[in-house]
Amino acid sequence: MTEEKKPEEKKKRKTATEAAAKIGPMVKAMIADVLQARKEGKPIAYTFICCCYDEIVRAMDIVPAWTENYAGICGAKRDAQRFLERAESEGFSRSLCTYALCGLGFDAWREQLGEMPPDAPWGGQARPDVMLGSGQILCDPRNKWYQAAQHYIPDVPVYAVGLPWPPYESDYDYREVQDYYVKYIVEELRGLVAFLERHTGRKMDWDRLSELVDLTDRTWNLIWETYELRRAIPSPMGTGDAMNTMVPIVFMMATQQAYDFFKELNEELRHKIANKEGEVPDEKYRLMWGGGLPAWFALNDFNYFNSKGAVFPVETTYRTVEAVYNFDIDLSKISDPLEHIAWRWVKFWTYWYDKARKRPGSHPDVERLIQYIEDYKIDGIVMHEAFSCRTWHVGLIWQLNRLKKIYRDIPSLILESDIVDISSYNEADTRARIDAFIDTLEAVKSKGK
Amino acid sequence: MKSQYFAGVDIGSTMTKVVIMNRAMLASVIGPTGPEHRKLANRVMEEALAQASLPFDDITYVVATGYGRINVPFADKQITEISCHARGVSYLLPRARTVIDIGGQDCKAIKLNDNGRVVEFVMNDKCAAGTGRFLEVAAEGLGIKLEDMGRLSLEAKSKVEIGSTCTVFAAQEVVAKLSEGVPLPEIIAGLHEAIAARIHSMVGRLKIEREVALTGGGAKNIGLVKALEAKLGFPVLLPPEPLLTGAIGAALLGKDIVKQAAASGTPLPRSERRLQEVTLFTR
Repeated sequence: MTEEKKPEEKKKRKTATEAAAKIGPMVKAMIADVLQARKEGKPIAYTFICCCYDEIVRAMDIVPAWTENYAGICGAKRDAQRFLERAESEGFSRSLCTYALCGLGFDAWREQLGEMPPDAPWGGQARPDVMLGSGQILCDPRNKWYQAAQHYIPDVPVYAVGLPWPPYESDYDYREVQDYYVKYIVEELRGLVAFLERHTGRKMDWDRLSELVDLTDRTWNLIWETYELRRAIPSPMGTGDAMNTMVPIVFMMATQQAYDFFKELNEELRHKIANKEGEVPDEKYRLMWGGGLPAWFALNDFNYFNSKGAVFPVETTYRTVEAVYNFDIDLSKISDPLEHIAWRWVKFWTYWYDKARKRPGSHPDVERLIQYIEDYKIDGIVMHEAFSCRTWHVGLIWQLNRLKKIYRDIPSLILESDIVDISSYNEADTRARIDAFIDTLEAVKSKGK
Repeated sequence: MKSQYFAGVDIGSTMTKVVIMNRAMLASVIGPTGPEHRKLANRVMEEALAQASLPFDDITYVVATGYGRINVPFADKQITEISCHARGVSYLLPRARTVIDIGGQDCKAIKLNDNGRVVEFVMNDKCAAGTGRFLEVAAEGLGIKLEDMGRLSLEAKSKVEIGSTCTVFAAQEVVAKLSEGVPLPEIIAGLHEAIAARIHSMVGRLKIEREVALTGGGAKNIGLVKALEAKLGFPVLLPPEPLLTGAIGAALLGKDIVKQAAASGTPLPRSERRLQEVTLFTR
């Protein structure tokens, strides 16, 4: 019986920074806070990352329950299979997003029992009062997951907020249409506020919202400045750690805790740089995690890379902020907080457009890779194709090929498995690929000598 | 000066290969890796030593490669099969710029630069389709020997379409075709077409550059070679014994290491060698 399956044993990953090591307890506390909120009758919202409603939810004192995070925790604890199997037995295809499958399996089980499934990781995921989907980046689960969850929690209403941004075209300036996008997003966000007021009984505190919008701007700047420190040689922090430090970025934005975390990390990295302390003692190869969500159950692979002298000073995954002072508009002059959020959103997603237009054949995603290769002195690129996440992964190979065509050839490695489904993963095969990739890097480096 | 000898040990998922070389190849042994033979990699080595009339201590350097490489206690160094195949091909077929290795349980494509170094590679996913195992299972289902498949397929006047890419389902499909009365050569030709299509799409991730060399057990199947050539649109190069390419590359890389160490005056990187029974599960 699936219910009786025990999670596989997992070794704890070694982090390079003290800050990253603190993330586990922080996430555990975050899950506990949601469970406590349930007990106290505070409104809880199922939420997705990168939907720019962080400040809105927090200004209304609604507790976010990040469903992708909980699925990732189940995956990282190697305890997702029983929830995936549960969803499959409910009739969902195994080839759907495994975050969604894990969450749906969990919801189905919790609702059937009327309590948390047995030994639910870190106490489980609390029943929500509302669910906030979105229609951005073509990620179908953002639209469909919570609708499907209504099979099990039909009394919980869903609001799907539309969050578009102007598409990239090499022969036109998106600024011609950006105002329309901003106007549309602002209307969507106003609709969200009205929805939340109606269904949770909480009123928007507009002054508080403005404060949180300002805090978020400052946090974005601080994160960007902190991650830029990783350019140092040797690099003081790698992507393995960044898969931890993404937590304050995507699950704790608009909180003082997120700002303070990065202040601390910033100081730690400066200290390490001053003392020439790298992610590994003998840095040989500088790699970029060029795309794809990680296999949460196999983060130890980053340590395996480290054991070969390979470090990851930069990644595109979860680097979902830019310094707002680098945008071509002054956000501080926008008095309406919802308009401020909408402009920040549009400017983030169009950030690489101008650069891409200057290089024939380029594309914003490719331009970003090129910039990071140069800024972080990158020797090779690693990507991860997670079979169940079509949205993020469908363009990875294209980006890589385009990069090599318009910029330069660079060693690359494509890893294959999943975000949550451990049955897709083969450690021996993965490590054989890593070994061969290291050989390739060495061959390219020795040729350059 | 005392002669130097170099051994390459390639423990693949299906076959174990050992070569001993100095300026040329002095000995080569190929044996199945199978569950019993896994314990006996040292015996394959001993057989090669006997063939070369050399005691083990005369071997200057031993490089192990293949999936079982970490479990060869008599090796001085382990090197990935990607690098070893690249080195082997650049020695045997210097004009090759792309290598397609069709092994028992995996398939890989390697791009080489003008110096024979690896610049890029791709490997198949965790599926047996596109590997020797696909044909092995099909041969079992058809009741024929694996080594006869290539020859038989050349007798085909046409070929059937095998729709399943899954090895297990494809085996079921060929049995069904057989019961429908489809001639055996046409079924085998269809299987070769299916596996060639799978390999060709994987290799397509690299920008294929001529010449293309084919190695591994798959290169010994003339039907598969022809099917792949049809997909590529040009003939491929074949080493004299495709199964030995990785082991030869391993021996040559060992030679390179010794040469480099001598040139730089640095000590030879080597571990303590133990010629004894080994398994893939314990060191």
